[in-house]
Amino acid sequence: MSLRGALAVTRFGLGAQPGEIAEASRDPEDWLLLQLTRSAGDGFPDQALNSSKVQLSNALDYFQNRRDDAAGKDQKRTFRRMVRQTSVAEVSARSSHAASTKAPLHERLVRFWANHFTVAANSPQSRVIAGAYEREAIRPHILGSFADLAEGAIFHAGMLVYLNNAQSIGPNSRAGRRRDRGLNENLAREVLELHTVTPAAGYSQDDVVAFAKALTGWTVGNHRIGKDRKGEATFVNLLHEPGPQTVLGKRYGGAGSSQAKSILRDLCRSPHTAQNIAHKLACHFVADSPPESLVAKLKSSFLETGGDLPMLYRTLIEAPEAWHTEARKLKTPDELIVSTGRLIGLRRVLVGDAGKVFESFAQIPFTAPSPQGWPDEAEAWNGPDAIMKRVEWANRLANRNSSLDGPDLLDAGLGDRANPETLQAVMRAESPQQAIALALLSPDFQMR
Amino acid sequence: MTHLSRRSLLALLGSTGLAPSFFSARASELQDRKLIFVILRGAIDGLAALIPDDDQLNALRTHTIPDRDQRLNLGNGFHLHPSLSALHGLYRNGEVGFVHAASTPYRDRSHFDGQDILETLGRGSERDGWLNRAVQTVGGTGLAVGYDLPLALRGAGAATNWSPPVFTPASEALLNRLQALYDGEPTLSEPLAMARATGATEMSMSGRANGPAAQYAVASKALGELMSADGGPNIGMLSFDGWDTHANQANPFATRLSGLDTAISNLKASLGEAWQNTALVMCSEFGRTARENGSRGTDHGTGGLVILAGGAINGGRVHGDWPGLRARDLHENRDLAPANDIVSVLKGVLRDHLSISSSALRNFVFDNRSAVMSGLVK
Repeated sequence: MSLRGALAVTRFGLGAQPGEIAEASRDPEDWLLLQLTRSAGDGFPDQALNSSKVQLSNALDYFQNRRDDAAGKDQKRTFRRMVRQTSVAEVSARSSHAASTKAPLHERLVRFWANHFTVAANSPQSRVIAGAYEREAIRPHILGSFADLAEGAIFHAGMLVYLNNAQSIGPNSRAGRRRDRGLNENLAREVLELHTVTPAAGYSQDDVVAFAKALTGWTVGNHRIGKDRKGEATFVNLLHEPGPQTVLGKRYGGAGSSQAKSILRDLCRSPHTAQNIAHKLACHFVADSPPESLVAKLKSSFLETGGDLPMLYRTLIEAPEAWHTEARKLKTPDELIVSTGRLIGLRRVLVGDAGKVFESFAQIPFTAPSPQGWPDEAEAWNGPDAIMKRVEWANRLANRNSSLDGPDLLDAGLGDRANPETLQAVMRAESPQQAIALALLSPDFQMR
Repeated sequence: MTHLSRRSLLALLGSTGLAPSFFSARASELQDRKLIFVILRGAIDGLAALIPDDDQLNALRTHTIPDRDQRLNLGNGFHLHPSLSALHGLYRNGEVGFVHAASTPYRDRSHFDGQDILETLGRGSERDGWLNRAVQTVGGTGLAVGYDLPLALRGAGAATNWSPPVFTPASEALLNRLQALYDGEPTLSEPLAMARATGATEMSMSGRANGPAAQYAVASKALGELMSADGGPNIGMLSFDGWDTHANQANPFATRLSGLDTAISNLKASLGEAWQNTALVMCSEFGRTARENGSRGTDHGTGGLVILAGGAINGGRVHGDWPGLRARDLHENRDLAPANDIVSVLKGVLRDHLSISSSALRNFVFDNRSAVMSGLVK
């Protein structure tokens, strides 16, 4: 086993399964690069999960047909049960795949991008499709270009619903002139601010409105739009604001459906977007304040390759700064749960009510608090109460699994990344349970 | 609900380093003054909560304000949303007041930057919060109820947070060994030490909260009990999420307002006598558009609402200026104009309620850009 092998597994992967550090130690860089192939990401257990189209169609049917009488109560109960079962099935599939995959870097990148293009379950409609969105819009596109990934995410039904574009209507469109509904600028604003160029690009309110107008027409099919398109992302010209739009000084004519896509293509090429993605990736993998030289390398790679994502990942893996041992990140609760699951089996980690474990750590999958996604830096997750919750959770886990061996956990989970002080504390524990708790709560395991 | 032990709460207050008998009568009275800051994340729609009697409003709003006959009259040119019935009673009792059309210096429309500005105020480049600087000035420990420590309370001053335990508390033996193991790793050692000093793991909360409005109620009750306990902290903070109502706003907004209404009632009840010495300030990072958008919601705006509550508040009135709603009154022809300064409001409350000197407000807690608003505290 080598230190670089341990770093590959714990920093770039999702935490070690027993034996994984030894395997990665043979050639750590190669072990990572081999995961960046489409087939490496296979095996997601989606057999029992519905597509977003099916999920959204069911939700649309319910909202269209619901009644106020006694039968309506049954409808409501059935619908709510469906929403709840969907959430549980999606969280369970996602967690078990993360705990078992042999391509943890691939999975970590899926999660990174799903968080960058967050669709959170904050309404019944987004609750039923947040999981499907990640499977359909993010998972298949993380090995292409950033522009393709962004387009797949932003024009997916999940995003159109979550950031209200499905309801946005051009004020001068044919539908807009007839109805009392109109423009919603939420999606346009968040694409500019969070997904692409950030406020550093100096866009104005007029740019937001123009982009929002260009985005009108992109909606989710319902019974009015046509049975075959129900529940899927679609462009409806009737809703689209006619005429050219100017965003960040450039005029966009073009046919309705291509207008917003042309704007997005240009946003994805911007140096501000390159800076945003470079910084965010370095923060996520390396440190809350990453080395400037690393950010610069990632930014150049992004700009030189036109946002080619596999090249960007390769630049990260080949950068010496990314392998410094002194840089460490506090695991988010989700990362802690997954890495513990990889080490001792997810069933032991999510004892009893799985949802409760996520809930007590305030990080239930698919429920990020805002379009910004889950925070990534330590200060968002190390409040006194949050740390005490980790202690109580690990303590319970240790008491229920006293057959585990503390020193073995350190060896299998951390390899050469385990500090001598940690090993000493675990060896000197007053009970096997305390040794397990100390191993899981050690700074070495809580950080990555 | 059980109570915190006296020992653990005195530990929480510990950083003052003074026994109660060392205080003069004036100082000990000051010692009892409580300040609670509540951030309403996502930007509350002030116009739909505190509704001006203004004919212009009909042209701006159709689906996002309650019907005229349901609104609660304040008798001074404003009505309250019907979900705020407890606040209505407290207003008539002089224990609730408002500042409408208030904002921080922030003029863009990003929630995230806006909240950072509201929580750091005046020292935007530094990552420490103004409420933490207030703790440093008056002493003691700041307390937030919630899973994370909000930015406003982060900084060099003592601050901690607490939320209901889910698992059985860990033993002292394990905690002692962990504390030693965390030595040299401040990311973990400092929060663990703070959590142990809070000692609030002894407290349990009945019932789990479902949905944001229910969470407001549970958190406010817990904060009131922790702050009113013997030796409890004097500066508290809550964070209520879920106010970003871009589409079909009416129902979710009413639910949240009603949760907020319950939260203030719960604070009054759980603070008990301490309510008389309490000033509560509630606001968002910015306001929302004066005009409804095309989806029966409202978008990010500028002038927002400040709610003041507590026995110490000079209530029963709407303080500050009202900018009006004519097209030329609006900020950029879209938002309620920023007629009042949130920093002025906070300075007024901190000076007149916590007796923080004007120079400390100017040079340390905030900066010198905003005047102090007078008359907010009895």
